[in-house]
Amino acid sequence: MSPLQFAWRSLSRQPARALLGLTGVAVVGALLFDMLMLSRGLIVSFRDLLKSTGFDVRVTATEALPGMGPVVSDAAATVETLRLLPELAAVVPVRFGVAAVEARDKKTHELAIIGGETRRRGEWRLVQGADLGEGAAGRPDMVVNRTFARDQGLAPGSIVRLASTLPAREFRVSGIVEFPFEAAGERMAGVTLNGFTQAFPAARPDEADLLLVASQPGVGTEAAVGAIRRARPDLHAFSIDEVLERLRQAEFSYFRQVSFVLATIASFFALLLVTTLLTVSVNQRLGEVAALRALGFSRRRITFDLLAESALLVGGGGLVAVPLGLLLARVLDSILRQMPDLPSRLHFFVFEPRALALHLGFLVLAALIAAAYPVILAARLPIAATLRRESIS
Amino acid sequence: MSARLLLLLLLLGLAAPAGTDGATSDANGETLAEILVSRGLVRERGLAVGQVVMLSADARGAGARPFRIAGVYEPTPDPSRFTAKRLEARMHLPDLLALTAEPGGADAVDTVGAINIALEDPADASAFARELGARAPAVSVMRAAAGDDEHFMIIERFHVAISVVTMIGSTAFLLALMVIRADERREIAGLLRLLGLRRRRILLQALLEGLCIATAGAVFGVLFAAVTQGAVNAFFQWRYDTTLVFVRVTPAIAARCIALALPLGVMAGLLASWTLLRQPVLDLLRR
Repeated sequence: MSPLQFAWRSLSRQPARALLGLTGVAVVGALLFDMLMLSRGLIVSFRDLLKSTGFDVRVTATEALPGMGPVVSDAAATVETLRLLPELAAVVPVRFGVAAVEARDKKTHELAIIGGETRRRGEWRLVQGADLGEGAAGRPDMVVNRTFARDQGLAPGSIVRLASTLPAREFRVSGIVEFPFEAAGERMAGVTLNGFTQAFPAARPDEADLLLVASQPGVGTEAAVGAIRRARPDLHAFSIDEVLERLRQAEFSYFRQVSFVLATIASFFALLLVTTLLTVSVNQRLGEVAALRALGFSRRRITFDLLAESALLVGGGGLVAVPLGLLLARVLDSILRQMPDLPSRLHFFVFEPRALALHLGFLVLAALIAAAYPVILAARLPIAATLRRESIS
Repeated sequence: MSARLLLLLLLLGLAAPAGTDGATSDANGETLAEILVSRGLVRERGLAVGQVVMLSADARGAGARPFRIAGVYEPTPDPSRFTAKRLEARMHLPDLLALTAEPGGADAVDTVGAINIALEDPADASAFARELGARAPAVSVMRAAAGDDEHFMIIERFHVAISVVTMIGSTAFLLALMVIRADERREIAGLLRLLGLRRRRILLQALLEGLCIATAGAVFGVLFAAVTQGAVNAFFQWRYDTTLVFVRVTPAIAARCIALALPLGVMAGLLASWTLLRQPVLDLLRR
């Protein structure tokens, strides 16, 4: 009989105990798996969001995040300078502003407005109507997100009147779009730079909060960033990886640390559970182990039997932990995604093969460590004395 | 908007050269405007009270003006931004407007991003917001958030969900232990039954035993949390340079923990004992 078959019989002799052990390992394993997904979930999700725009470099005036620091002055000249660089395929100036609109219920609501150029890559996804154009004389074009369109009852061709300007400025809705970074319930709109100056008459002209840059295919992001830094050392150019590293160190670090703490606790818990079950199991079977040794079972064979028992408990629980963890992750993700101002496409828990590999690695380690003490106990067992004690009792 | 401008200014201050200590007037003998600087910025840039710094609204430092650091302040902890460095400065509104105004743009010096209003009776806030909104349609009137911050509430929900999962895992662990414990006492239970003790009497004993173990475990857990909360807070406050309190074991939380742990412990003990005791006496004695 192989060690695995032997371990299976040993566990099935105590089905309630084995089932409870498996349940415990499955639950803490699910928690461990979730924490591994959480540790990098925001970074992976945010990287996908940044990449979906089609621009792999961001240029700002300072190291501050876009919209949180000084703007790029002389934006038109800066854009022209950068467009001459052979490493760059596209350069788009972007401005951010918040205006007010009057809703149908006569209440005033905030409207986040992004000023840019006509769409070149993935600045937004067109859902209905036509894309942003330069607009005819009179009302500038505006693309709006679904939340804003639903709230105001807008459709392509509708007129949007901004209440934050005097006199109120009007825009023509050319289409309904989905912005990559729009938050749930956030009203957003996109206009051209010309439209932006009309929406915000007090804003300084020829400025940009951010420059979106796409590198030439085949040239690479690093080469593009290097070219920008050489051409305009006063500006700050960031690749997506650099932006993510900064977020990892600061803005996203809390969840990384929480996941580390909880993953450690979950691992420890799984270890404690399996160690306890195996140790008690060995203690209850000391006579049986001694008898097996007397029959000629080697220490090595006993060790393999216990390791197999540990592997069955941890492996079985670990397997159930994966679908359970994925289910739990959906619940936890839906809770955290209710945070205000969070892009609705951002996720905290993201499945990666790396998380699964780490999960399996942790469980194998837990199985080995959990079996260590019971193995020592069984291997050092004095055969004759144990058998004598068992027969007397 | 004003917060954004402040951040903008302080970031420019990072690049600007620091001047002489203790100066109160510039080279022309004019009194320097004063600013307050956040503790984080003071530490980050090695600033000191009395020092003169140059601030500009332009990323390249154009139009920089000197300001004297009058003091250092601790920014109000913001749960939605606690991971960000609070590199900030505060100044008088006219100084800020003069610094950020477009050269020659007279209207900009009379422009503000927001006006904070404190009402005599906070209960009138909604009515006041409605009335002001009707009178000044170009102005966005918002009631300041009252009660718990939404970030806090969501983080709390997340932690509660994690606690529930941990509790389910712990219950399985506890049940396994109780089953083992009951199994170990199988023969004693059989003997007690043979001696005439009723199932109910033995179950009562198991219940009391479970209650004692659960009480000891719950009290130990609460004490452990109470003792270690200082270390957890110290770590996160150090890590994020904030005065926010991350963990606080309140009497209500301790009571909730005990109220959950006690029934769970007792139920686990009873369940494990009952599965054993319902067996015939001879089975218990392995005969």
